[in-house]
Amino acid sequence: MAQASMPLARPTDTPDAPEAGSAPEAVALRPALFARYGALEQLRYDFPLVLVEDDGDGPVLQPLTQVMDAIVRQTAAPGPAGEALRQLVLRLEDAIRQRVAGGESDTLANLCRTCAADLLAASQEPPFGPTATNLDRAREALHVDGLVIDCDGATPKAVLAHAWKSVHAAKAKEFRKKIDGLILRLTDILKADFTRSDEAHTPAALESAIGASYGAAFDFHALSRVLSRGRAGEGLPKERERRIHWVLFVLRSQRFYGPGRSSERKPGQPEPHGFIFESCAAALDAFRERLPAVLEFVKALTIAELEIENKYRAELHDPVFERFDESDLSAEQLALLPASLVCLRDGRTDTAETVQAFEALASGLSIKVLIQTDDILGGTSPEPSRTAFGVGSARLAAMAMGLNSAYVFQASSAHLCRARERLIAGLRHDGPALFCVFSGAVETAPHVAPYLLAAAATESRAFPTFSYDPSAGPDWAARFDLTGNPQLTADWPLHRLEYQDQAMQRHGEEVAFSYIDFAACDRRYARFCQPGAEAEWGEDMVPASACLESTPEANGGRRPYVLTVGPDDELRRTVVDEKIIEAARRCNDAWRRLQELGGINNSHALRLLARERAVWEAEREREAPPPGAPEAAASAVPTVEPPAEAEVAEVAEPAAAGDGPWIEVSRCTTCNECTQINNRIFVYNDDMQAEIVDPDAGTYREMVEAAESCQVSIIHPGQPRNPDEPNLEDLIARAESFN
Amino acid sequence: MTATMTQCLLRLVEEDYTLADYQSDIAPRWCAGCGDSAILTAIQRLCREENLPPEKTVFVSGIGCSSRLPHYMNAYGFHGMHGRALPVAEGIKMRRPDLHVFVTTGDGDCCSIGAAHWIHAIRYNMNMTVLLHDNQVYGLTKNQASPTSPRGLQTNTTPRGACLEPLNPLSVTLGVANVSFVAQAVDWIPGLLYDIIAQAHRHRGLAFVRILQRCPEFMDHFYDDAVRDPTKTRILVHGDGLRLSPEVSRIYRNQEAHDPLDMARARALASLGDEIPVGVLYRDPSVPCYDDLRAGERPNTPDLIRTVLDEEFDKVTIWPQIGATPLGAE
Repeated sequence: MAQASMPLARPTDTPDAPEAGSAPEAVALRPALFARYGALEQLRYDFPLVLVEDDGDGPVLQPLTQVMDAIVRQTAAPGPAGEALRQLVLRLEDAIRQRVAGGESDTLANLCRTCAADLLAASQEPPFGPTATNLDRAREALHVDGLVIDCDGATPKAVLAHAWKSVHAAKAKEFRKKIDGLILRLTDILKADFTRSDEAHTPAALESAIGASYGAAFDFHALSRVLSRGRAGEGLPKERERRIHWVLFVLRSQRFYGPGRSSERKPGQPEPHGFIFESCAAALDAFRERLPAVLEFVKALTIAELEIENKYRAELHDPVFERFDESDLSAEQLALLPASLVCLRDGRTDTAETVQAFEALASGLSIKVLIQTDDILGGTSPEPSRTAFGVGSARLAAMAMGLNSAYVFQASSAHLCRARERLIAGLRHDGPALFCVFSGAVETAPHVAPYLLAAAATESRAFPTFSYDPSAGPDWAARFDLTGNPQLTADWPLHRLEYQDQAMQRHGEEVAFSYIDFAACDRRYARFCQPGAEAEWGEDMVPASACLESTPEANGGRRPYVLTVGPDDELRRTVVDEKIIEAARRCNDAWRRLQELGGINNSHALRLLARERAVWEAEREREAPPPGAPEAAASAVPTVEPPAEAEVAEVAEPAAAGDGPWIEVSRCTTCNECTQINNRIFVYNDDMQAEIVDPDAGTYREMVEAAESCQVSIIHPGQPRNPDEPNLEDLIARAESFN
Repeated sequence: MTATMTQCLLRLVEEDYTLADYQSDIAPRWCAGCGDSAILTAIQRLCREENLPPEKTVFVSGIGCSSRLPHYMNAYGFHGMHGRALPVAEGIKMRRPDLHVFVTTGDGDCCSIGAAHWIHAIRYNMNMTVLLHDNQVYGLTKNQASPTSPRGLQTNTTPRGACLEPLNPLSVTLGVANVSFVAQAVDWIPGLLYDIIAQAHRHRGLAFVRILQRCPEFMDHFYDDAVRDPTKTRILVHGDGLRLSPEVSRIYRNQEAHDPLDMARARALASLGDEIPVGVLYRDPSVPCYDDLRAGERPNTPDLIRTVLDEEFDKVTIWPQIGATPLGAE
């Protein structure tokens, strides 16, 4: 198993020396690598899982171990001083894990309370002793709460429903913020209209507005008369008022989300719609049934947005809303509304339902479908055709990627917590989403814990973790994510197995964990496996993973085996049938296809690389200097001249039109000096900056005076246009400093 | 990104505004040569370029020559009490976050009687544009010293010359917590004045622009040196700040590349003695806005207010026990 999946193992769990002569046919087999994980409830790993109830941005799923580690970090002093508290928290965690493994289902706070009471009772300390104090400190530091679940057949549905609820709650918050904002603006419009109306200006209305405390200080009849006289304009057009009332009614009576506060609901108001369905047909029916309400709501929403901008024009917009139908619904409008959730269980629900799920996903509606798989391998009796042997329903998610518009997520229960960001992203995705989750609760492998089997499915590439997000970008590189699988670039993950032989000698070897190891756990496949104890091991045996690459002929008739253990932890080489080997090859083929999609060993890229390399090598060969050529020539690097510093573009001085007057328009500060002297010569342009539009509309004296009074000295009077003007000499002398 | 249906429908009735759409019927009553006219024009140009609907735009002012500006804008306006422009603007923004809020205030209105509101408005960092028309004298009341009057200035209240060093609005603003945008403009370079006000408007948070403004009546020729000698003006340029047009760049060659996130340099520039810095001194868009922090999860609709109040009252309500025998009836 991957180190990260199962970090701790007891050294005592290493396989004992195999004994000769045990009865192989009665043994329920497990892969040899499982031997270290005999008693799961004593290990710290991703389960039990806390389904965190939180309004904030924190993770919605958290392993119990993470919660407890956070408590230790927060409360325990470093070094020996905090050791007692650390150990106590770990014992508390252990007690909770035992209870959950025993089938108890409760919230974390309640479990902590009961387990802490048990620990306290067991310590037999007097009240307020060190154990009680430490337990109190630990519980005070517990800031998350929610249902604690173990890994079993109910896990995928519980996790997905919980994540859906948290996404739904966040969406509801956004929705209420938007809708309440619109309602507030619209009621403001009506309120402003009312305060200007006759009705609001009656003495009685004014009196009630002022209130009883200061009522005696006013003459409301006089006030009413004054206000009525000073009222300007008319109120809202009746048509607009009616429209706003209708919009407010629709927005307030929507049933897509609840009111947000339980006490906010008015008596007689209908319950909000439910969005969790048992079947896709029910989800689609509900969508069709609610479509008129959706249309009405979206219409009201759009009208509200136009009304608060005061941009509703009946002549333009009325025809649009009269014709408004399903085809006008846009993705962002639908994204406001809740997504439906359908939970299906492969093998329990009809096959027809799975087909319908694909139809629902193809519809583009915001439907989130969980297909829980409990059996990846499929039955062996009646024997399936060779190509379907050992395939089961593991390929649904890969098929759904072909729909292109749907978000696709696949993971086993064991990896749900680690892939939680991608799980949430799928639920937040505006379109449809498919979640394929393998529960690990396989009826035909009751001797392996569901968590182990689920983790093994990921490890053996039988059920890899991946996601496909069509909204993440335009290409596969952005959309497809294969991370989360162990040893991504390898065909099968390799792990070190250590064991003792009959002579009590320690051995170690690198063992691949492949599809065959996974299949060997299943009782239905036992008849294709032949376990053999050490005494039966022979030279004609070959590790199964080694012969997957080659044909049976190339193996020279050697028998492929995988290492397994029975309940007694005795190591066996289990020889497997060619049928399982072939199924493993198909599994490997599917995994390589996923790798290619994820950019690993992509065949197109490899081909391109090979072609470019060939071209490059050919070129290098051609350009290679003849032996003995001076080395300096080869090492000469062409130097690039630094680009000349770009100079600021010089703008030519505005050309003075001969001797005529001119003005630097863009520097004008609109100070009115020149226009006050003569507003026929100087006129403001569209930017309120002065231009000389007609130099002959005034005298040269005015021109010179304007230049003198201009605060920013941008007027240049030029030469006089009328030689008969008096005092020209003096004026020309005054104008000189401005020209 | 596809446009939403509302955006498409709004486009049907979109109007292209002209400068005249923002000019009110009242002709400005500022003296000829007053820098306020340049500021008014820059603001009207900004409204036109940004296509701000007049009914979605508010100008708030206090008292002073500068504070007459809302009268000359065809938009919503509030000519408030002396020094109280900022609290009024904050109230407007809090209740109507959809409006574009501009505050025009003068050196007396902002730095004297309204100084407390000024400091806290900077700290609140609400999303609005504040234009400080700083002519360094009280003009409306005919020539008295203001907090920014230079030392030695003779006015009616300081016949022997102002005896205190002037207050520097830039360095004061840069010293307040949560400051997010500080710029300086001068009214005699209209292109830059427009660019700086436009950047201030686009900034999310409180944008404070000090505009050095000429008063032809009581501070005549005070800025003549700077107006005539372009080297006296140091233009602050940066990829994130002002980008000069070739025309301005040709005249104003005294330029400095200044990163608006560099607070230390901004403070040094604010205190320059012999040159006038023009441009964006400081900008940090990551400073949180009080209006965002206080927005809450849901708008306070009448229904919500009623519900919350009912919940609170219910906590102390004594409900009659149904079916209980009235006291003394047994």
